[in-house]
Amino acid sequence: MLAASPTTLPLFLALSACKGPAVLSGPAPVSAQTQTLLHAVTAELNLIWMYNKTMAAYSGLGPALAPLLAEHQAHLGRLSARVVEPPGKKVPGTATARPAIDATAAGALAQLRDAEQAAVGVLLNRLAGASPSLAQLYASIATSEATHVTTLTSRISGSRTGS
Amino acid sequence: MKSVKAAEIAGLQAALAAEHAAVYGYGVVGAMLSGAAGSLAHADWLAHQEARDNLEQMLLRLGATPVAASPAYALPFPVSGAASAVRLAAFLEDGVTEAYLGLVAVTDRTLRSFGALAMQPPANRALAWRGSTVAFPGMPTASTSA
Repeated sequence: MLAASPTTLPLFLALSACKGPAVLSGPAPVSAQTQTLLHAVTAELNLIWMYNKTMAAYSGLGPALAPLLAEHQAHLGRLSARVVEPPGKKVPGTATARPAIDATAAGALAQLRDAEQAAVGVLLNRLAGASPSLAQLYASIATSEATHVTTLTSRISGSRTGS
Repeated sequence: MKSVKAAEIAGLQAALAAEHAAVYGYGVVGAMLSGAAGSLAHADWLAHQEARDNLEQMLLRLGATPVAASPAYALPFPVSGAASAVRLAAFLEDGVTEAYLGLVAVTDRTLRSFGALAMQPPANRALAWRGSTVAFPGMPTASTSA
């Protein structure tokens, strides 16, 4: 270990008071685009958590929901791959929103549909500040989630009519 | 919209070309289907005509000459019955979705938003024809199953 000598310590202290480059300061701020990407990753984690919980609570919904869950996992993979991990900032790995799953299967499907619809709106709002390729990824995922809304709505209608 | 550049015009023209192709393609699809599927094909054909007309108006307002439809289009595979007609419908919708995704890459915020929203109807029609969703509508891998 290096020990500060009586002659170098004052010099070090004097230098550290200077307004030079902040070599030893905290991590650089995360850019707005990266911040948005990290939020998109978290949003996918939250949807995946809801699908897993719903499928665990209502096993009969598994065959219908598994393909949609697989697409969310693909979204998460593609979004995570776009993150250049900022120094001092971890890429999210767990869900941050864990709502109680509805007490009925139809209610749980409606809950998923509403979460998907909300996710579409959030992604579309992220287009303006994104790079062209990231905007295309957001738009494609938003479109995928819009088709999930359609699929879930159809499933809810089917369960109400008994089909 | 007056400051829209060449890239934006090109994106709109590509979307229009895809809509022209879809209008033509649904003529083939509709000829092979009857009953509920035939009615669905007719409704989708009308939707593409409406989208085509809208894009033409947008281009005219920007001072551009809308690209014309080709007299005929090569089909991606032989269409000889209901099953291949349904596959063609899904293929056409994938093509239109992909064209609108191209618009999302432009810098003009209004057109970017327009392109993203315009992806949803063809993606939902593709879902109706294919019976399943895809993870990345409009991205090149989405149409590999067509």
